[in-house]
Amino acid sequence: MLEKLNQLSFVIGVFFVLVSLVLFGEYFFSDLPKDINLYTGIGMLVFGFLMIRAKA
Amino acid sequence: MTLHLADYLIIIIYFIFVIAVGFIIKNRIKSSNDFLNSNRSIPLWITSLAFISANLGAQEVLGMAASGAKYGIMTVHFYWVGAVFAMIFLGVFMMPFYYGSKARSVPEYLSLRFDEKTRGLNALTFAAMTIFSSGISLYALAKLLEVILHWNFDVCIWVAAGVVMIYTFMGGLTSAVYNEVLQFFLIVIGLSPLVIVSLHDAGGWSSIRTNLQPELTHAWKYMGNAESNPMGINFISMFFGLGFVMSFGYWCTDFLVIQRAMIAKNMSAAQRTPILAAIPKMFMPLIVVLPGVVAITLMQPALQSKGYSIPLDAKGALDYTMTLPSLIAHYYPSGLLGVGITALIASFMSGMAGNVTAFNSVFTYDIYQSYFVKNKSDKHYLYVGKMITLIGILLSIMTAYIAQGYDNINDFLQLVFSFVNGPLFATFLLGMFWKRTTGHGAFWGLMAGTLAATITHGLTIAEGKGGWISPMFEIKSGMGQAFVVATFSWLTNFTSTILISLVTKPKSDIELKGLVYSLTEKVNASEQKWYLKAGPIGIILLIITIILNILLF
Repeated sequence: MLEKLNQLSFVIGVFFVLVSLVLFGEYFFSDLPKDINLYTGIGMLVFGFLMIRAKA
Repeated sequence: MTLHLADYLIIIIYFIFVIAVGFIIKNRIKSSNDFLNSNRSIPLWITSLAFISANLGAQEVLGMAASGAKYGIMTVHFYWVGAVFAMIFLGVFMMPFYYGSKARSVPEYLSLRFDEKTRGLNALTFAAMTIFSSGISLYALAKLLEVILHWNFDVCIWVAAGVVMIYTFMGGLTSAVYNEVLQFFLIVIGLSPLVIVSLHDAGGWSSIRTNLQPELTHAWKYMGNAESNPMGINFISMFFGLGFVMSFGYWCTDFLVIQRAMIAKNMSAAQRTPILAAIPKMFMPLIVVLPGVVAITLMQPALQSKGYSIPLDAKGALDYTMTLPSLIAHYYPSGLLGVGITALIASFMSGMAGNVTAFNSVFTYDIYQSYFVKNKSDKHYLYVGKMITLIGILLSIMTAYIAQGYDNINDFLQLVFSFVNGPLFATFLLGMFWKRTTGHGAFWGLMAGTLAATITHGLTIAEGKGGWISPMFEIKSGMGQAFVVATFSWLTNFTSTILISLVTKPKSDIELKGLVYSLTEKVNASEQKWYLKAGPIGIILLIITIILNILLF
């Protein structure tokens, strides 16, 4: 895990996955859900996973 | 604009990550070279993105959106005439000298190529400019957050500076560079939805062309005459003033960006760093210029039902600087609003950290070690480097508070920067490609160029600025005036450096080996595949850039 943390692409990936989760939370639990949060969240989630899987 | 829990969560996650990067990198810092130069060990994709991100500060993000609204699509010239060509030139022709000379900084290269006084002049002006830039970036961030979110100005200053201080103090240049890459992705991904929704709301590109005056939607068509375009300059000023003098002066001599290429693993990677960085740079107008053009379109009579307008300043004129924040406020709901605000914060912090780490290296190596304390242990210079980081941050905070007290200090400092930076490229161009150039020629040429810039500004007036000697010549826009000032300062430096060099003694060929084009062994890269070579990639990018210019002619 420590080795992974030294890998910048992994750190960036985790960041975007977390931000996408916040956007999903805002979409699913908000009284007035906005599609743009969902679509951006999906985009960030995909990007985040790609970065996590990327080789340094 | 009001933030909600999701928005605050995103800002907090961002702060935690940038600080965590500092702590992760901390364990790798063993020497001053690690702290100030990243031990020349950073992978190519990181150096390339950091190269572009170091320039993706607030002035770029907010400033280019503002220019997009004010001058229209002509703003793309900063990318497609300016940056891309200069970055390719840097990679193909200049990086071999910066990297190959093993200099640790741009001023150190000047010391090797010319002499100590030229290095000292460059180091002192650069150190002062980086601190002022960093402080103004900090001031602008705090001011923006105070205006749009009603946050406390002092808290914004100290929290933002504190976060930058923690990660640069812990991990030095590597930490700053890693965070620049994170900030790059955040800015691009965070602002992309804004471009899509606002462009869609404005009716797409065809609607922009229909609703805006034609001179705002063509890049070249109205450049034949200075009076017929909003920037007030013709294509000659554009090519020479922006395309050659200003862009090459910045991208090819400013240590802030060149430092990112100088920490690459090897010469090939160092050369490709600015060239690969030119790829995202080429498409950056989509993220930073297009929103400005969309914003001004949304204010046209046919689209007033959309309910968007650029805010007014205290004098009742359009406050173009607020173009991007006002678009974010208009289109982003809670959640994405946090992403947009974090992207803006990231752009300010990226600019500040870039300046502080460049200041660190130049102050430690080119001022402290060169003129004050020589021949000490590496541990000593590592300690000094860390202390200089703290001092740099404190000076930035001080500058931010000074800027708060003077309305025009930003304009004044930008002006001084242009006086100093404008002529600089002539010194490097002659130094690298004409072995007869001497140290005296370089030093006095720089002084003459700066003086020429000052006089030109004093004799020209644009938008009420300049003309303090005598307003003899009127120029339509401040941007046009900047191009003219840069052009005269460059020409003066170029000619005076040649003249003085011809009557002073040059260095011997042995001393100049590896520092001048004609005396440097050419790298035989025939064993490399073509797509790994700087030249072929550069040519492809030039062709694409020309095509983009034609498309928006």
